[in-house]
Amino acid sequence: MATDRRRRAVLAICLALLALGSAGCKRHRRVHVQKTDEELPSLMSVLHVADPRANAQLLSGFHGVEQNAWRWTEQRFSVLLRPPRHADQKGGRLQLNFTIPDVVIRKLKTVSLSATANGQPLAPETYTQPGQFTYSRDVPAQVLAGETAKVEFALNKAVPPGDLDRRELGVIVLSVGFDAKQ
Amino acid sequence: MKRAATVAYWVIPPLFCLIVYWDGLNAWFHADDFAWLGLSRNVHTWRDFLHAMFAPMAQGTLRPWSERAFFMGFETLFGLDALPFRIFVFLTQFVNLALVSSITQRLMRSRAAGFCAPLLWLANSALAGVMAWTSAYNQALCGLFMLAAFHFLLRHIETGKRVFYVLQWTAFLLGFGALELNVVYPVLAATYTLLCARKYVRNTLPFFLVSAGYAIVHRIAAPNMGAGPYRMYLDGSILHTLWTYWTWSLGSRLRLVTEAPVWVGAVTVAALTLALLGFAAARALSRQWLPLFLLQWFGVMLLPVLPLREHISDYYLFLPTIGLAMLGAHALLNAWRKGTLLRVLSGTLLIAYLAVSLPVARAFTRLRYQASEDVRRLVLGVESAAQLHPAKVILLSGVSEDLFWGAMFHHAFALVGASQVFLTPGSEHMILPHVELGSASDFVLPPGPTLLGLERGDIVVYAAGGERLQNVTTQYKAVAQAELRSEPPRRLDLGSPLAEPWIGSTWYALEGGNHRWMPKRAAVRLGGPRSPSERLHVIGNRQGAGTIGVIAVADGKALTPVRSRHDNDGFEFEFALPAELAGKRMIEVVLEVDQTFRPGGGDERDLGLSFGVIEIR
Repeated sequence: MATDRRRRAVLAICLALLALGSAGCKRHRRVHVQKTDEELPSLMSVLHVADPRANAQLLSGFHGVEQNAWRWTEQRFSVLLRPPRHADQKGGRLQLNFTIPDVVIRKLKTVSLSATANGQPLAPETYTQPGQFTYSRDVPAQVLAGETAKVEFALNKAVPPGDLDRRELGVIVLSVGFDAKQ
Repeated sequence: MKRAATVAYWVIPPLFCLIVYWDGLNAWFHADDFAWLGLSRNVHTWRDFLHAMFAPMAQGTLRPWSERAFFMGFETLFGLDALPFRIFVFLTQFVNLALVSSITQRLMRSRAAGFCAPLLWLANSALAGVMAWTSAYNQALCGLFMLAAFHFLLRHIETGKRVFYVLQWTAFLLGFGALELNVVYPVLAATYTLLCARKYVRNTLPFFLVSAGYAIVHRIAAPNMGAGPYRMYLDGSILHTLWTYWTWSLGSRLRLVTEAPVWVGAVTVAALTLALLGFAAARALSRQWLPLFLLQWFGVMLLPVLPLREHISDYYLFLPTIGLAMLGAHALLNAWRKGTLLRVLSGTLLIAYLAVSLPVARAFTRLRYQASEDVRRLVLGVESAAQLHPAKVILLSGVSEDLFWGAMFHHAFALVGASQVFLTPGSEHMILPHVELGSASDFVLPPGPTLLGLERGDIVVYAAGGERLQNVTTQYKAVAQAELRSEPPRRLDLGSPLAEPWIGSTWYALEGGNHRWMPKRAAVRLGGPRSPSERLHVIGNRQGAGTIGVIAVADGKALTPVRSRHDNDGFEFEFALPAELAGKRMIEVVLEVDQTFRPGGGDERDLGLSFGVIEIR
């Protein structure tokens, strides 16, 4: 009988602990409607690919954000950018900040990266070592005369799905954009 | 002092549970949860209720207590506040811990073992799935019924009282409402009595009849089971699957969450395997069968899922690992009584087990919690967006794979009153399809309606992935105008106002913001098939009484029906398309039903079918 009473007391303590814990949590966790950010950003000239505001301008070939910092690409990837100020007179400089991981170089040996801006080819570059790189090219003013510039990148090869990942893997991009030319 | 010890005996396991799985208590909803949460919205009559409670769903499952009643009841009471759901899961687990303790104490006649077993079970990383994901509650509740049944079997054996036998039956029968796995209980009861209480073997035999009857009824009522990843392979892969589960149970997954070298997990698994199997073998040689019984607990509880080699999930280990925990407690206790060397050895193994398992349990719980938080931000963000922009279509960009499969695919937005939510065109390429589930393309608004909606101001676009949804309508409009081409959609959502430019004049007006009725005959214009192998899919959600036949004509050519489906979820017709339509920019599809009905109540419309989607793919 006494044992039964003790068991009931223990059970009551457990429930009370949980109720207290939950009450404490509830003060912070009562379901609120999540606010949204209604500020309306316009097209950007420089995209940090992990920034959600860049999502719309990443047109194709990008995988999901990883480590809140970067995205893997496929063999081909493209973005839509706003040309920088006065680009219609001075042109601009395209900058792609990216990393070629050791695992990719070991697999592919060399990787060549080429690009076009609004269809205008930009000189390719070949990489034979892993590391962090900036692919940087001047883009003529006449190419950047419009409201937008579509930049398409292409690697000469990529790691096919299945070897390292279910996805096709090219390089790891951190940011891409135009710098204004002085 | 004795009183304090008793309190500690019962309170420490629940406290340990709270400490290890605290993130699980705070987790929000994820993936399948939304399907179950949406159940009560389709319940308007007693018939609907009975269907929602007892009709086979999702791979033919029949779990009225652990899924249907649990989700419908709590959703009705608490809406989308996940905490009450989680508290209930934890309370169920506290009862499980008490039952494990009581069973262990009775089996080994040792309070120390009864204290150790629930703690060893809690330390197992296999519990993370159940302790952090509400849809896995079926495991916890099934555990409660099976443990209770076994507890009452032991009490019946101890006392000979019939009341415990009746209680055992009650718990056993209720267990079928929690999880199909309950069918293995008779094996558990029979094996135990055979090995340790032979006089009672006969008492367990009627349980087999019930389990066999349940298996037959279940097979008849749920003919869809065994498809996709749930396909069963009765071959050598079973051994491989068993080994995978065994190593997961003993800590092989450490390398997934830490920088620890692979050998740490491998050596620990090997050492624990040797210790547990060695202990069971040594005791069996002395004709003490309890360790063998506990070992087979692991195997028997896994038996139904071992043929599922394409669906290996850690929550399937929730109940099997009880056997290992009790065996571990038994082995520890024996070693402790056998001198210093074995004490040191068993203490080392205990530390190794805790060191490889607890970090995994904590990390997996944390991961599930974080995934549910990401989903919460998205779903409640969409709720906010829908309130700010009522009657507008919401487009989402940057929805990650995890967010798509964790929320959008399961129609989570419908639960917050936002039925017109789509992915931006092209988003589907960032989300790898799941063969067994589908692809993201069904959730994409095609370019034509997107451009139209942006032009008319009927669409707001949000970027997902940050702390808050970011309204990027202006930015996206510039991208869409530069990149998208206004072409007839191959997929037309008739429940959207954006479908209007592509539908004929006979269609009735949009209703409820999500569906539209056709009369006897109605037409749509769609982008032509890209290849001759593509087919026309006509998918809807409501019709009048009886089965309605549909005739389809595309550009004047009658289409050949190849498949049709009518069930409580709606209907789907599939038609082959003539090869000459392939590559055409636009085709006109005319649908005609063979019967219509009038809804009554002053509504004089002749109604055919309610849509839905018409799609070429």
